[in-house]
Amino acid sequence: MKSEYNSIGKNIQRRDIVEKLTGQANFCADIALKDALSLKVLRSSRHHAVIDKIDVSDALKIPGVVNVFTAADIPGKNLMGIINKDQPLLAHDKVRSLADPVALVAAQTDEIARQAIKVINVTYTDLEPIFDIEAALAPGAPKIHKKGNTLFTRRIKKGDAGTAFETCHTIIEKKYMTHAVEHNYIEPDAGAGYVDEDGTLVIYASTQNPHYDHKEVQGFLGLKDDQVRIIQAATGGGFGSKLDLNVQGFIGLALYHLKQPVRYVYTREESYLATAKRHPFTIHMKTGADKNGKLKAIHIRAYCNTGAYGSYGIAVASRSAVHGTGPYEIDHVDIECACIYTNQPFCGAMRGFGAPQMAFAHESQMDLLAKKLGMDPMEIRMLNGFKKGSINGTGQQLIDSVGYPECLEKIMPYYEEALTNWVTEKTTPFTKRGIGIGGMWYGIGNTGVQNPSTARIELDQNGRVILYTGCADIGQGSSTILTQVAGEVLGIAPEAIQLVVGDTKFTTNAGATSASRQTYISGNAVKDAAEQLARVLLTEGANKLKVSKTALSFGDHSLQIAGHPERSVAFDWLAKRIHEKGVSLSWQGYFDPETIPLDLETGQGSPYATYAFACHLALVEVDVLTGQVSVKKIVAAHDVGRAIHPENVIGQICGGVAMGVGFALMEAFEFGKTLSMKDYHIPTCADMPEVIPIIVESVEPTGPFGAKGVGEPALIPTAPAILNAVSHALGKRLYSLPADLESVLQASIDSGHFGPEEKM
Amino acid sequence: MADFKYIRPDNLPEALDFLWDNGQDTAIIAGGTDVMIDVKSGKLDKKYLLDISRLDELKGIELNGRDLCVGSGVTLSEIYTSALLASNALALQKSAVNFAARQIRNIATIGGNVAHSSPCGDTVPSLLLHDAIALVADKKGIQHIPMEQMATSAYMSSLTPQQIIVKFILTPYQDGYADFQKIGRRKELAISRMSMAAFVKKDSTGRISFLKLALGACTPVPCSMGAVEAFLTGKVPTRELLWEAGGLLAERMIEITGNRSSTIYKKPAVQGLFMRILFPMVGS
Amino acid sequence: MTFEINGQEHTLDIPADITALEVIRSLLGLTGTKEGCGIGECGACTIVVDGKSVNSCLMLGAQLDGTKVLTVEGLATEASLAPLQEQFMKNHGVQCGFCTPGILMSTHALLEENPDPDTEEISKALAGNLCRCTGYQQIFASVKAAATASRDDRITGGKNG
Repeated sequence: MKSEYNSIGKNIQRRDIVEKLTGQANFCADIALKDALSLKVLRSSRHHAVIDKIDVSDALKIPGVVNVFTAADIPGKNLMGIINKDQPLLAHDKVRSLADPVALVAAQTDEIARQAIKVINVTYTDLEPIFDIEAALAPGAPKIHKKGNTLFTRRIKKGDAGTAFETCHTIIEKKYMTHAVEHNYIEPDAGAGYVDEDGTLVIYASTQNPHYDHKEVQGFLGLKDDQVRIIQAATGGGFGSKLDLNVQGFIGLALYHLKQPVRYVYTREESYLATAKRHPFTIHMKTGADKNGKLKAIHIRAYCNTGAYGSYGIAVASRSAVHGTGPYEIDHVDIECACIYTNQPFCGAMRGFGAPQMAFAHESQMDLLAKKLGMDPMEIRMLNGFKKGSINGTGQQLIDSVGYPECLEKIMPYYEEALTNWVTEKTTPFTKRGIGIGGMWYGIGNTGVQNPSTARIELDQNGRVILYTGCADIGQGSSTILTQVAGEVLGIAPEAIQLVVGDTKFTTNAGATSASRQTYISGNAVKDAAEQLARVLLTEGANKLKVSKTALSFGDHSLQIAGHPERSVAFDWLAKRIHEKGVSLSWQGYFDPETIPLDLETGQGSPYATYAFACHLALVEVDVLTGQVSVKKIVAAHDVGRAIHPENVIGQICGGVAMGVGFALMEAFEFGKTLSMKDYHIPTCADMPEVIPIIVESVEPTGPFGAKGVGEPALIPTAPAILNAVSHALGKRLYSLPADLESVLQASIDSGHFGPEEKM
Repeated sequence: MADFKYIRPDNLPEALDFLWDNGQDTAIIAGGTDVMIDVKSGKLDKKYLLDISRLDELKGIELNGRDLCVGSGVTLSEIYTSALLASNALALQKSAVNFAARQIRNIATIGGNVAHSSPCGDTVPSLLLHDAIALVADKKGIQHIPMEQMATSAYMSSLTPQQIIVKFILTPYQDGYADFQKIGRRKELAISRMSMAAFVKKDSTGRISFLKLALGACTPVPCSMGAVEAFLTGKVPTRELLWEAGGLLAERMIEITGNRSSTIYKKPAVQGLFMRILFPMVGS
Repeated sequence: MTFEINGQEHTLDIPADITALEVIRSLLGLTGTKEGCGIGECGACTIVVDGKSVNSCLMLGAQLDGTKVLTVEGLATEASLAPLQEQFMKNHGVQCGFCTPGILMSTHALLEENPDPDTEEISKALAGNLCRCTGYQQIFASVKAAATASRDDRITGGKNG
């Protein structure tokens, strides 16, 4: 079938690919600034303490130390946080975790900076530290922040869950636990900066949100908009962690005082200590169904440990509550998810914002219900899954683009094949096979709040199109996608569009590269700008060619009368003409998804304008003698609305599966114990199953050419599918992640598989 | 970073001369995969770093009659690809298969792996299996040290600061069943949670006529598992018998280590891994 | 110390305690080779020394003496990308790009030694190169396509034989 589009749906060349293949792409640590000073932060040696005194005099005596800064040197507001501002750039009155920065050294070399931080004397008065949720919520617990230890609670209440459970035929009630997880992008956080001729502080950042960084740095330093410029350098992955500031504030502070180039490159060890983690969750989930397997009621009490600071914790609690039902229709909903402060280093955003943790629980519940009711796991999902017209837990009706049933249908043949043939095949001795399903839904964009994006398109007098976007491409390929959107509207090759990305001097705010929002939201903003340009071109073109606008179509940088390519007018001629008329050759696009804020008590509202859906099938082998799990295959069906760049979508799916394999089987960040990459395992290529990606296109009418998003959805169903498969293999379920060697072997022992004879 | 002088001798006598005079102040670098971590973290508190990675005397794998000689400077990649080892010391060859990663195998040496004395050293169980003797030299002469005596405790080698391991002399095993397996937290690039090497011969009646067994990452220093070998020798391997022997092996391990938090996993896993490795002996 | 990097000979006087990675990045300014962990766990710093892939963060700078080194900067010519790079482009084997130079170097060493690797052999060669973005599938596709392309080239007696 011939596509109706020229650019959309095409696997065009990635924007920055040649630089990345030849080693020419400049990541922050690669930026050479002449005579740049090295920065290094002294972090707290206490979990929870009042700072009595910071003595930097010995450090200042070391030759090569240029200066040492403390909170007292911050001229503006010493607080950061994108949702709630509770995190100081440098600790002033107290420290709340071992990651808290206390003083910042600027020195001639990294080595001197390292020596200097060793001789800074900080006098503390210790306070009682709290590490877990129970201790944080205990009556009389010490307050980590003035407002107390509960940062936020999201409540979703619909119907009457209490009464509904009484009428349920089958109820499953379980507790699920997940671990803190490290993003472990391969590029350790880094930044660099200088002061340019007009006094502007120019900061190169490895970031997912340059315009947010800009605002925060301005705030710390009390500077105006144009006195700070953030340039996004090539960014080596983010997965949520680079939504928080890493070194931008330190670089800004040093530039402000020293007016000399500086750089700060975290070691991997500092990156582990200083940056956010995925929130560990404790989830109590109770799900009830009637005798036919129709879900009736759900009750969830979930707690996430955000550590010392909020970061994105409120969003994590909020999203996990909304997504607690899973992609299933349930009339009676009673969900509360609380985000709690402790003295662990802080947790923040990580691919999925709490939805992956919640999906582990709701998908386990679905399998448990199915088993108890004698149903097939696919059947119970088919029966309850969202479809067009379904109403979710927040009372929002899902009208268009609900591709969950289609995802399940696409998985079905693989499921049946695996169940009938693969599982029953003879395997190597002491190996048990199992298969499992994981379903998910995911709201695109931020939860029930405004989250607009903007973009600007310019036409130069040579007829060339220039796209300015604040949207950070951190490897996922948004820059490429946005040119495809603009190119499609303007009938030009995406490659011909000049692109300016993530430079606050030139670009306007596109919001964060998070919440799987950039294709949908920034895609729409770019489309809006491109359409404004297209309208002006069509008006002028119609004028010139003396036909109606509807008779015109776009050629290569020209407009032509449909069917008569010889009767055309080129963009450069039109650009000059428009300019002569005094019309600006610049168009600003804007898009903000339509949402209704969630009621604080009931959580009713309309949190997202659209949702992505997915279903994964996992095929695993469990070694019943050692607890080793091998994931053999993942079939991953994803409703993305429209795949603008199918190979990019596949890249997101495969990458998400890899992260899901890690989340399921091996990743556990232990505060105080996980120090370097020796202590933390992410999957190698040898740990990866074959991935069969299936793209489902349930077109979203409000999306750019129907697109939604896929970044986070790619990860979410994998761990639940694997855990369900391990349970299927052993006949014994695991309720905490990761399913490591120890817990799987224990399950094998408990289920009677561990022994000289092989149990069927 | 550390403050030291880099020395690269041209031959072994030169290296031994240098160590005789400066051994106490010298760290030895072969592949460097362990010592470089200390160099970078500034933990290396020596005046000299002696690079023995290019000494020809430490290279080569040869079979001299009943002696299978593996130079201490042989890299894990060389072990991995050695046909001679595949036919005479299969377990050792297999221990290189999942050793760290290709980039590490390309420079890490068997001598370095042994001298580092990590309880998780992947080549150690296979060397034990082959009754390896380390040929250790200093300026004054040569000493033969059995593998069991190469480490005094975890990460503490019994070598003097003047000594270099020249080679390992192994007893070759042909026509029998040999295996090495390890359990890690992922399939590649993993530190051994546990490893095991075994060599088995059966006689014409199906009885085990010869068995050697060695554990890795289970005890602080390499230990003989003679009691388990004796238990199985002369018996026809069945599922139940192997299971019982695996249980004995686990008990023997706990006798040495005592009960630790890791024992909860390691006790059954030793039994399980033993079953997995020895199972092909049942009925064949 | 004298060594050859990307076909160019260098004689340098270096401090004893610096790594090969620092020599390459800081002294020679070849920043295509990356530092991801500093302890040989991630493979971002992989270079090819005398035909073998090694982690340059675990190699002492002085050990480069007398060797021939290839880094990512040495793959392409001014006129065109190397066939290997072409295949990573065509098969979408790159996302954030930070692990890419190391992956290219491990792949280069593999294909020099074994021009027709199977999946298992690719896995063995690349397991020391961590990637957090791609899930490796498109990287494997790129490596296989590069092997096929060079095989076809050899059969037809093409320029890359």
